[in-house]
Amino acid sequence: MKRVLSQCLKELNQFRRDRLTVALAFVLPLAVLLIYGYAIRLEAKNIPLSVQDFDNSPLSRTYISRLFATNQFVPTPMPGTAVTSALDRGTAKATVVIPPDFSRQVTARQPVTVQALVDGTDVNNARVIQNSLRATTQFFLRSSDLIPPQAQSLIDPQVRLWFNPGRQESLYIVPGIFGVILWVFPSMLAAIALVREKEQGTIVQAYASDLSSLEWLLGKELAYLIVALGEALVVMTVATILFGLRFRGDPTPLLVGLIVYLAAAVAFGLLVGARAGNQTGAVQGTAIAGFLTALLLSGFIYRLENIPFPLSLVSNVIPARYFIEITRDAFVRGTGWPGIWYAPIAIAAIGGLFFRLATRILHRMQFPD
Amino acid sequence: MGSYILHQPETFFPKRLAPTPPNHSHTPPPPKPMHPLRTFRQSRLWALILKETRQILRNRQIIFLLLFPPTVQLLVFGLALNPEVTHLSLDVVDYSHSPVSRELVATLTANDTFQIQAYQPSVEDLGQRVRTGRVSTGLVIPPNFADRLAADRSVEVQVLIDGVDANTAGIASGYMQQLVNRFGQTLRQTPDPPVAIATRFLYNPGLLSSWFFVPGVIGVVLTLTGSLVSSTTVIREKDVGTLEQLLMTPAQGWEILAAKIAPLFGLLMGDVLLASAIARLIFGLPFRGNYVLFLVLSGVYIFVAIGIGILLATISSTQQQVVLTSFFFNVPLIQLSGAIAPIESMPTFFRVLSFLNPLRHYVTIARSLILKGVGLEVLMPEVLALVSFTVLLLGLSINRFRAQLN
Repeated sequence: MKRVLSQCLKELNQFRRDRLTVALAFVLPLAVLLIYGYAIRLEAKNIPLSVQDFDNSPLSRTYISRLFATNQFVPTPMPGTAVTSALDRGTAKATVVIPPDFSRQVTARQPVTVQALVDGTDVNNARVIQNSLRATTQFFLRSSDLIPPQAQSLIDPQVRLWFNPGRQESLYIVPGIFGVILWVFPSMLAAIALVREKEQGTIVQAYASDLSSLEWLLGKELAYLIVALGEALVVMTVATILFGLRFRGDPTPLLVGLIVYLAAAVAFGLLVGARAGNQTGAVQGTAIAGFLTALLLSGFIYRLENIPFPLSLVSNVIPARYFIEITRDAFVRGTGWPGIWYAPIAIAAIGGLFFRLATRILHRMQFPD
Repeated sequence: MGSYILHQPETFFPKRLAPTPPNHSHTPPPPKPMHPLRTFRQSRLWALILKETRQILRNRQIIFLLLFPPTVQLLVFGLALNPEVTHLSLDVVDYSHSPVSRELVATLTANDTFQIQAYQPSVEDLGQRVRTGRVSTGLVIPPNFADRLAADRSVEVQVLIDGVDANTAGIASGYMQQLVNRFGQTLRQTPDPPVAIATRFLYNPGLLSSWFFVPGVIGVVLTLTGSLVSSTTVIREKDVGTLEQLLMTPAQGWEILAAKIAPLFGLLMGDVLLASAIARLIFGLPFRGNYVLFLVLSGVYIFVAIGIGILLATISSTQQQVVLTSFFFNVPLIQLSGAIAPIESMPTFFRVLSFLNPLRHYVTIARSLILKGVGLEVLMPEVLALVSFTVLLLGLSINRFRAQLN
C-alpha cells in the first residue's frame, strides 16, 4: 500500500511539472463544456419560413400573421419565382403556399388545402416544423372562429411535462456533456502517461525495481483519479454556475457514480496505454474512439432506443451511457437510488474489467511477480 | 491532383535552378527544353514526392488511420445518431374501462409512435414508473370518460411526459395532442376542418436521419483524418530529426512541403471516394448534384484539413501535444459546423461565428450537392468562402512551417 502511495505521489509530481499538460488538462475540458453547452441545441427556435401568398386577402394575411406569432418562425423573402427557390438556396427551411382561392373557399365553407414544403434534410427539425405548422393552423382556425363548435374535439389532452416543464434543452445536454468530458480527458491523460514511460524507457526502471505490475498500475490509477476528480470539480462547478443546474435530490448516487466512473476512465486509459505498442498514434486513435463512443453510443444527443440492433449491444458496455443516466437523474429527475441503483454497479464492472486487462498486459512484460 | 502538381515545375523552374550550388556534382545539369512531363519526372520535386509517398505507404499506422477511423466514424454516426421519435414507451391508467377508452389507446398505438408498456392500476403507480425512468409517457383516462362522451360533453385526459429529453418530449407532446384531437373528432363524425395543411418533405422525403448526418460526417472525417495524418507526418520528421537532413539537401522549403502535401492529398482524395462509396452503398444517399463538382470541392476542403495539421505540427513539439492541441481546433470546428447539431438553433453569437468556419461551408456544400442537387450558381457564396478560408489557412500554416525551417 505504501509503495502504491509513493508511486502515486511520484506520478502526481511528474504531472505537475509538465505545465502544458496541466494547463490543457483543465482548460480543454472547460472549452469543450462551453462549446457543447452553448452550441448543441437540437430544436430550432428561429426557423426561417417563406410564404407564397397567391390569395393576398385579409384572411390569408391573418393566417400568415398567426404563423409568425409564435416566434418559432422568422419571415424570409422568396429569392426567386420558383416555389422551391428559398429551400434550394437554404435561406428558408419551409415554404407555405397559400392557394389563390383560399379566402373564397374558406368563406364558402369549402375545405381548402394549404401546401407546406419542408426541407427534410434536418430530420428532427422537419418534424418540429410539421408539428408546429399543424398546431398554428389549428390555432388560426379556432381564433378566427372557423371551426363550428360541434366540430371541436371532445377530448382535451392535458399534457404535463415532468422534471423539465420549460423544456430547457440545456438541462438535457449539459449533464450529458459531463459524461463525455469526464471520460475522454481522464482516459487520455492516463494513456499518455503510460505511453510516455514506455517511449522514454523509464518503464525499465520499474521493471528493475521490485514493484509488481499491479502496484505500479494502482499508483498511476490513483494519481490520475485524483487529477480527474479535480477536473470534475472544475467542470461541474462552472457548469452549475453557467447553466443553472441544481441538485434535484440525493447527491450520493452522483458522488459514488462519479468516483467509479472516473476510475473506470483512468483504467481505460491505462489499458490503451498498455496496449499501444510504441506510438502515440494509438493514443490518438483512442482519443477519437473514446469521443465517438461517449458522444454517439451513450444517449448523449438522441435517445438510446434509436440505436439500431448490433450497435445497441455495444452501447451497453459504454460506461458513459450509465454515467449520463446518473447525472441526468441527479440534476434533472431527482429520483435517487431507486431509479439508478444499477448504474454505478455497471460502471464498476466495466471499469474493473479494463483494469484487469491492463494488469494482465503489463504482467506479461518484465515485472517481477 | 495531377494538374496541381504538374504546374509547379513550370512556374518555379527558374527559381529551382538559381540556388543550385556548384559543388553538388549529383544535381543534374540544366535540362534542355523537353516535354514538360518528362522535365517534371526528372525534377527534384518529383523525386521528393516519390520519397514521401514511399515513406507513407510503408507506414502501416498512417494507412490504418486513413482507412479504419473514417469507415467506423461514418458507420457509427450514420447509424447511431437518430432523432426519430417512435416506439415511445407508454403506460396507461384506464379508470374508465370502457370500449371507447380502449379505442383511444388503440389509436395512440396504431402508428408506432407510442408503444404500450403496461397498464397501471393507479396514477401513483404510473408516477412511480415515470419517476424511475421505466416509462417515458403516461396516459390517464378518467372514470367518467365514457359517460361524458356518451352525453356529448367534453372530457379531459391527462398525459404525463418525461421532459428530461426536451427535444423528444416536445415532439411527443405534439404527436399526442394531434392523435387525441383526431380521435375526438372522429367520435362525432364532423366534417374535415376547413383549412388543412399538407406537408411535403423535400430532398429527404423518407426523413431518414442518416441522410442528414452522413454528408456532414464526410466533412468531419476529412477534418479529423486530414489534420491527424498531416500533423503526424510532419511532427515525426521533427521528432526524429530527419527534417534537418532534408534541409541540408539543396531542396527548397517549398519543395519539401509540396512533396509532403502531394501524397497526403492523393490519399485523402481516396478517403473521399471511400466515404462516398459508403454513403452511396450503405446509406443509399442520392448524390443528386454534379459528382465531379463534389470531388473538386472536397479536394479544396482537404487542403483546409492539411493546413490545420501543419499548423498543429508547428505549434506543438511532440505528438502528445498535437493530440491535445488538436482538440482546440477540431472540437469547435466540428461542433460549430452544423454537421451534428443544426446551426439555426445555436445562439446568435455562435451562429455568426460559424460563418468563419470552413467546415460549415463544406457541410452546406456537401448536403446541397448530395441531397438537393443544386448547381454551382446556388452554392457560389459557400464556394467562395471555402476557397478563401483554404487559401488563408494553408498560407498561414505554410508560412509558420517555413519560418520554423529557417
